[in-house]
Amino acid sequence: MKKMISLALALAMGLSLAACGSKDAKNTETTSDLAYVQDKGTLVVGITEFEPMDYQDDNGNWVGFDADMATLFAESLGVDVEFQLIDWDSKTMELDGKTIDVAWNGMTLTEDVKAAMECSNPYFNNAQVVIVKADQAEKYQTVESIKELNFSVENGSAGMEQADAYSLTYTPAQDQATALLEVSSGTADAAIIDYLMAVASTGEGTSNPDLTYTVSLADEQYGVGFRKGSDLAAKLNEFFAEKYADGTMQQLAEKYGIADKLVEQ
Amino acid sequence: MFLTVIGALNEGFLQTLKLFFITLLGSLPLGLVICWGSMNRFPPLRWLCRFVVWVIRGTPLMLQLIIIFYIPGMVMDQNPWPAGETGRFLACAVAFIFNYACYFSEIYRGGIQGVPKGQQEAGQVLGMTKGQIFFHVTLLQMIKRIVPPMSNEVITLLKDTAIARVISLQELIWAGYAFLKTSHGYSNLLWPLFFTGVYYLIFNGLLTLFFGWLEKKLDYFS
Repeated sequence: MKKMISLALALAMGLSLAACGSKDAKNTETTSDLAYVQDKGTLVVGITEFEPMDYQDDNGNWVGFDADMATLFAESLGVDVEFQLIDWDSKTMELDGKTIDVAWNGMTLTEDVKAAMECSNPYFNNAQVVIVKADQAEKYQTVESIKELNFSVENGSAGMEQADAYSLTYTPAQDQATALLEVSSGTADAAIIDYLMAVASTGEGTSNPDLTYTVSLADEQYGVGFRKGSDLAAKLNEFFAEKYADGTMQQLAEKYGIADKLVEQ
Repeated sequence: MFLTVIGALNEGFLQTLKLFFITLLGSLPLGLVICWGSMNRFPPLRWLCRFVVWVIRGTPLMLQLIIIFYIPGMVMDQNPWPAGETGRFLACAVAFIFNYACYFSEIYRGGIQGVPKGQQEAGQVLGMTKGQIFFHVTLLQMIKRIVPPMSNEVITLLKDTAIARVISLQELIWAGYAFLKTSHGYSNLLWPLFFTGVYYLIFNGLLTLFFGWLEKKLDYFS
């Protein structure tokens, strides 16, 4: 008897969940994401702290190339902008759960990303580069020379895709910073990270003076991600084209020192 | 640099403490309700409570956080949690309160069932009502019995608040971990993360002293 009732309860719970699930599929397809955002009056932008794209100035305001563009974009929609620090691994879940409206933080447009989100046109050229200790850099200037090394790459990152593509031996790390840490502590021989990050955090005057970058494995591009099927992506493309035409985008890129890699809109 | 890091860690610790105290405030009484339900003589209520306790204790808190924070927004047109940090905090508070209430309810049950039957019978002989017997005889003796297991759970709770970072609540571990990447203008700092241990250690030291004092205070029941 007891078992029967608990079984029935479990079944009822499962069914109610399933019922909710099927209802949602219909609803989200018919509603416009633009209308949803304008209706609630804020554009919630999912970010991580990533100089020069998104970082806090001395007053605690979010600035950077992506942050400034996002602020302007929200303005053009007539809504407030709100920056939310998120765990970057959870960005798709954050979008689908409507806890953020857009993932906008120097995001590499990989196949996985394009499948999971509605992405904007690319706006920035990036590359995946190999990081090694500076005193060994001479030995590792070609793709052939790095095949024997043990790599550390951010789990699920574009760097990990490259490691797979070249069938390199690697251990996934929580993030790019941890991958760098593995190299400086010697627990990994090399890491694969973003070009932007490599410029900002290796070499003299940075926090990793003993590291440097060598081989460039893949050229890639940054884009902005919205919920799957969202009409905001098209809206952002229009916005990019407009801001590129009037020179605002170039000015901002100049301001943050990344103008040479900006993509024409 | 040191002051900036400490400032950031303090901010994170404040979130940790807020979650810690709100969880206790909610789960201590809720645990008693669940405990009452799971000992109830009305079978469906008893089964329901035990089922809930089974599900909550049987699944990781991390998963519960992810489910209650993300699933509603996926199922409905709008995410029901308030905007910004408040929503994340609220979701954490709800998940933590339920989770800990279930653990507490079992500790309470053990404490209540450990009070000798003779105590209740003595109450009946003296003509006390059922409510009087529970609150003045059973509950008071139960509290003394459950102090050691409760101190275990409470200390664990302080450390478990770190799980809240899975839905990006900026608590202490998040604040420390952020310096590994970039936070407040500093990158690749390892020591802030390790330094968070000092906060937990000191606060848990205070908790240990408190529970020691409490145990002494309840000594007169023995």
